[in-house]
Amino acid sequence: MNKVLALTKKELHSYFSSPIAYIILIFSLSLFNILFFMIIDQNREVSLRDIFQVMEFMFIFIIPLLTMKLFAEEKANGTMEFLLTSPLTPTMIVLGKYLSMLIFYSLLIGLTGVYYFIVEYFGNPDPYSILSGYVGIWLEGAFFIAIGLLTSSWTRNQVIAAMTSYLILFLLYFSITFTKYFTGFAENFLIQFSTRTHLENFAIGMITANDVIYYLSGILLCLVLTRLSIDHRLWQ
Amino acid sequence: MSILTVEHISKNFGALQAVDDISFEINQGDIVGFLGKNGAGKTTLMRMITSFLATSSGKIFIDGDDITKHSLTIRQKIGYLPETPPLYTNMTVLQYLKFAAEIKGVSSKKQAIQIAKVLEECHLEHVKFKSISTLSKGYKQRVGIAQAIIHEPKLLILDEPTSGLDPMQIQQVLALINNQREQRTVLMSTHTLPEIEKIAQRILMIKSGQLVIDESLDTLLTRRIITESTGSSEIQSSQSKPLTLEQVFIDYHQDQSQTQKVSSN
Repeated sequence: MNKVLALTKKELHSYFSSPIAYIILIFSLSLFNILFFMIIDQNREVSLRDIFQVMEFMFIFIIPLLTMKLFAEEKANGTMEFLLTSPLTPTMIVLGKYLSMLIFYSLLIGLTGVYYFIVEYFGNPDPYSILSGYVGIWLEGAFFIAIGLLTSSWTRNQVIAAMTSYLILFLLYFSITFTKYFTGFAENFLIQFSTRTHLENFAIGMITANDVIYYLSGILLCLVLTRLSIDHRLWQ
Repeated sequence: MSILTVEHISKNFGALQAVDDISFEINQGDIVGFLGKNGAGKTTLMRMITSFLATSSGKIFIDGDDITKHSLTIRQKIGYLPETPPLYTNMTVLQYLKFAAEIKGVSSKKQAIQIAKVLEECHLEHVKFKSISTLSKGYKQRVGIAQAIIHEPKLLILDEPTSGLDPMQIQQVLALINNQREQRTVLMSTHTLPEIEKIAQRILMIKSGQLVIDESLDTLLTRRIITESTGSSEIQSSQSKPLTLEQVFIDYHQDQSQTQKVSSN
């Protein structure tokens, strides 16, 4: 565990010692704040349901920018050889990097927690639906990060890593729009495949086993594939 | 006692045979120079020893343990410096060495002691708070060596540690490697032949993936290679002027027909 935490600290240090972490934090929060006030002003509702859906859409663009360097940069700089010849297992490397991104993402999400107090000032919001919305958006971000980690392990080029993440995230997000062309199993599959289906439930205060399992199994699958991707390169 | 045993190792990348049935042993405390032209298979072999690459066939034992079965334990016993020092340039020297100590399993109690020790050994104390990105190539190489020895490995593997350095920096890095003699075994690949002559006890030379020389430096330099029209042979000769390693290297690479595979014994 100490080795995993050492890797996590190293990753966070790498983000915060360059402007990228601050730029992403400031850019994301500014954008969320503007959209938050626009939505509140338009809807006149003491709810964060719509802001969660906007955040979901924005994270499709933001998270690949965070994750693209995780493995691609190590490969390009030759430090991947250092990690893989140190007494670390590929699982430790994957977990260390994943944990660092989760911490950064939690910080970003945590800073939007002020929205609850703002809506509470103006009315009487349902704290449980807001909490469940935050659980949902956190799980969704954790899933997106796992996808970004996986695509970063496939290449040494950060741009290719980000573009591949965008492709996968767009497919996940927009798949629900194609349901009108299908019926039966295919239609149901596309509904279940889309992240929008699952976040909607969280945003209205409903936490179901189906939605939680969707995110957790997606995260686990991506982490296992990332580990296999590293192993494959190690033993090729 | 043998610290490294390589038994009939081969490595193919598709149709390319990068390493072809190589066997050798290295005893504890030796400094072994690993020579060969660029592309001869040196880095591939070193990467297999460090378990970064899998072998196509054959076995590698470090301190008696098979690397495929005890990969993590073995990596604890190896210090490795790849050709390009694996540095995080956004860190200071101290931050980087602390990170290296942590992932290499140096206990938190011993970390400060080990870091202080390698900073002194590698003459890095006065740059420990500097960002690695601001260091010269010579200093970066020393930081690379410092990370390789921070966990006190038994076997130190250095892939061209003097590559791209100026003569002064080469002297400093070689002195640093020479100082490791008493504490650990060193296997280093290099093209700095006159310098390796000063510190190595033994020479391995690889050509087109095959081991063509595996001898003590003294024995090697008192031999003379005679090429005959029918092939090649080696005979002992007493010479007034001893050969240099550079001459041996050039002789072995001038004529393709001179390749002689060293027996696995």
